[in-house]
Amino acid sequence: MRSYGWLFDPKRCIECSACEAACKQWNQVETGVNVRWRRVLRQESGTFPNVQVTAVSMACNHCENAFCQKVCPVRAIWRRDDGIVLVDTDRCVGCGQCHIFCPYGAPQLNLATRKTTKCTMCFDRIEQGLAPACATVCPTGALQWGEWDAIEGRGSDRLPGMAYPRQMRPHIRFVTEPWRS
Amino acid sequence: MITRRSVLQGAGGAAVLGTLPWNEAFAEFFERSQAIPYPPESLVTACGICDSACGMRVTVKDGTIRFIQGLPEDPHNEGRLCAKGTSSAYIRNDPDRLKYPMKRTNPRKGLEEDPRWVRISWNEALDLIAEKYTEIRSKYGQEALLAISRGRPPWFARLYSALGMERVDHNDLCYGVDIVISNQTIGRHTFAWDLENAKYIVLFGWDMVARAKLSLSNRLLHAKENGARVINFNPMYTATAKFADEWHPVRPGGDLAVALAMIHVLLKENLYDRDFVSQYTNFPEYETQIREHFEKYTPEWAEKESDIPADVIRRIARQFGSTRPAVAPLHKKTLAANYENAAPLCHAIAILNILAGNIDRPGGHYFPRTFEIPGLDAIYRPPAYPKLPAKRVDGREKLPLAGGYGMFSTLADGMLNRYPGRVKFLFWNNYNLSSLPQRRMMEEALKTVEFMVLVDILPMDAMYFADVVLPSTMFLEGSDIIVREMAAKSPFAVVRQPVVGAPFEAKSAAYIAIELGKRLAPDYFRKADGSWISPSELLDEQVRRSGLGQNFADFRKKGFVAGEKPFIPATKFATASGKCQIYIPAFAAKNYDPLPNWRPKRDLPSADYPYYLITYLPAAHKRNSTQNNPVLFEIDGTPYVHIHPSTAARHGIRDGARVRVRSRAGEAVGVARLTETIRPDAVAVPHGLGHRSPWLSVAGGKGFCDNDLIPAQTIDELVQHGNWLGSGCIMDAVVAIEPAV
Repeated sequence: MRSYGWLFDPKRCIECSACEAACKQWNQVETGVNVRWRRVLRQESGTFPNVQVTAVSMACNHCENAFCQKVCPVRAIWRRDDGIVLVDTDRCVGCGQCHIFCPYGAPQLNLATRKTTKCTMCFDRIEQGLAPACATVCPTGALQWGEWDAIEGRGSDRLPGMAYPRQMRPHIRFVTEPWRS
Repeated sequence: MITRRSVLQGAGGAAVLGTLPWNEAFAEFFERSQAIPYPPESLVTACGICDSACGMRVTVKDGTIRFIQGLPEDPHNEGRLCAKGTSSAYIRNDPDRLKYPMKRTNPRKGLEEDPRWVRISWNEALDLIAEKYTEIRSKYGQEALLAISRGRPPWFARLYSALGMERVDHNDLCYGVDIVISNQTIGRHTFAWDLENAKYIVLFGWDMVARAKLSLSNRLLHAKENGARVINFNPMYTATAKFADEWHPVRPGGDLAVALAMIHVLLKENLYDRDFVSQYTNFPEYETQIREHFEKYTPEWAEKESDIPADVIRRIARQFGSTRPAVAPLHKKTLAANYENAAPLCHAIAILNILAGNIDRPGGHYFPRTFEIPGLDAIYRPPAYPKLPAKRVDGREKLPLAGGYGMFSTLADGMLNRYPGRVKFLFWNNYNLSSLPQRRMMEEALKTVEFMVLVDILPMDAMYFADVVLPSTMFLEGSDIIVREMAAKSPFAVVRQPVVGAPFEAKSAAYIAIELGKRLAPDYFRKADGSWISPSELLDEQVRRSGLGQNFADFRKKGFVAGEKPFIPATKFATASGKCQIYIPAFAAKNYDPLPNWRPKRDLPSADYPYYLITYLPAAHKRNSTQNNPVLFEIDGTPYVHIHPSTAARHGIRDGARVRVRSRAGEAVGVARLTETIRPDAVAVPHGLGHRSPWLSVAGGKGFCDNDLIPAQTIDELVQHGNWLGSGCIMDAVVAIEPAV
């Protein structure tokens, strides 16, 4: 069975948040309750005038060994054959265990419904032969999506400051190459 | 989409995959694939949020917009979109949208008054406007009329001209100065920069990446892919600086000194493009004056004004002079900050580009190759328009060199102090009060207007001063032919079509203008045979004459048309002398500097206001028009005040605390964000927040407005300061900060 994954190139990210807007538009995520399945995180380092800013667009990375799934007390989280990890909101009780165990902050508690929701990798779009909403609009190609066996093993598995993903095996890789000069 | 097969093809087969340098094995991924899948039934249209007007594919399901993505064939945005375009359906479906024409029943105006709207029919509204116009015009004459509006769509431009209304728009706060300078130096103002072929790029505050203006920001990205060297001068580290090889935190207003010193070095060391400069510019005629003029602007002098070390300026100038093609792009308000010294700065940067020999050359500043779409006036010739009053409310006639644009920055003073009570009839179209400097002054001025018409899509602040409100449509509901010039190396036209119907009783701008025209100036809205002109016929005629198709329906079926025009570099320029002008004789004739001179910005730090104010534009917003979009507001809706930690420590301000920012114009309270990305002597605030209208359910009453801190101007000030091109100084302020309790 084919599975999918993300490829992210932080040096190309212009922090425009188109990925987040597209995600909300397609998945009709509720606005105003701070549920942001995909969001752009920004980290500054260094001191003036030698500063560096890294931006990462982060959502669920659909880990092969998903901790959120492991810790869910009501087994509301499941993994499809194609590797997409989903939350069954009918079963979810909103206990928040998955939020604690996910190093990427993917599961989010919707305070209006008291349920956890998260990125679905737009499985409904994938089934129609389209790409997930975020990767469809990303204007610079910083965020790419594709078949995991084409992405797997390339680039780096983490950026500085991120969790070591050896156990979870998330489906995301990062490009750490600098620009050609 | 990345597939196994494409990776192998790109790398030339599996066997060599391991032996390739890592970069090339990856290059495959980042070939900005044009093959983004889209649903075949989606409709082509063009975005209308900013001037980039990127091509879109909109998926409509059951009459509502399901998803919006880029148009893969569009060279402009390369099949992608920014957050604003992607989420524009939220603007279309905004529950706050104006639904019906309304009239005010409470005669008292102001943001604290409830206008007590009453719904009326379109005919009633239009008749009422016509009646009031006729009454005011006959009682007070033509001087009492004013339109605050852009000249687009051309229907409105015709309406104002036909009614003899003076029109004011925001160009002085934007790129008005650059229009004048461009016309004088290279003959035409364009936004087209061929960055992807440039090898050396110097950005004076040019910040399109941080604003996500794709047609331009992607050009910089391609420049990086092609190995260009990018230098960025900006007091604040923005997303653009991330793409720069060097970021130099220049002192606000000091970029002019850097540009002058760079010209000094180029001339001293003869590092300019000799062929171009001797053949196509007026440099040979004025060589002695030019060389003499820039003699005094040494890098050592510039260091004192800009905090950039002299040897750095010298090195950058030498690299700029010896690398080809080199370019120093400019853009609108963020071109290099709209300060009082914007005119010499635009001029200096134009000279840099001329010396680099990049005008209309690959890798430089070129004239866009677009389809010629005949305008409204070319197709339906109007009779002669009435003359406008000689004395304008904004006083622009005192600046003979300024272009044909109105001035927002002096308008409030004109309405309140110079000509109190003169404006009786005001037509306000799609502007936000918060885009005017010192908007509270403008609010006072609007209270003095007898009758105000407002055309808008959302209940913005200006509605509180309107007597009649007309709901208009947005770009997803209208038709147009879009040709853009920001990245137009070859002609490309996209259709704009209504993907969904207009909600409730909203009507298009064309309808409003023509219906008012029929009532008030019928001669200007008739065809030669006496029948009324119609927008759809105009579109058909435009499509026919520009060769895009048989009629608009045909063009709409195509969706877009790509033309072919070989890129032949210009040898004639549309200036007075037919050459690029470094020395501007027209300015000399009017006793204005024919060559750029150093002058500081208007407001400089003092004991009372020790910090420079910088405004920046959040990437997720288009100025102040998209805050009510809940998606964008969630992405960027916090009124951050960016302060350097050392500065904050001096005032006892902690990260996330409330902070009050005061200037001589007013004050605002925001949330402190301590960051190392800003100069210690500057404070940065976002532009666009601070709508006060409680009818805006998302953005109303949230945040602060940066324009409360920007002092407005009077026309006499401009004349006195020698601001001859009428720069609006929309960023020119100094502030004090203190913790807000």
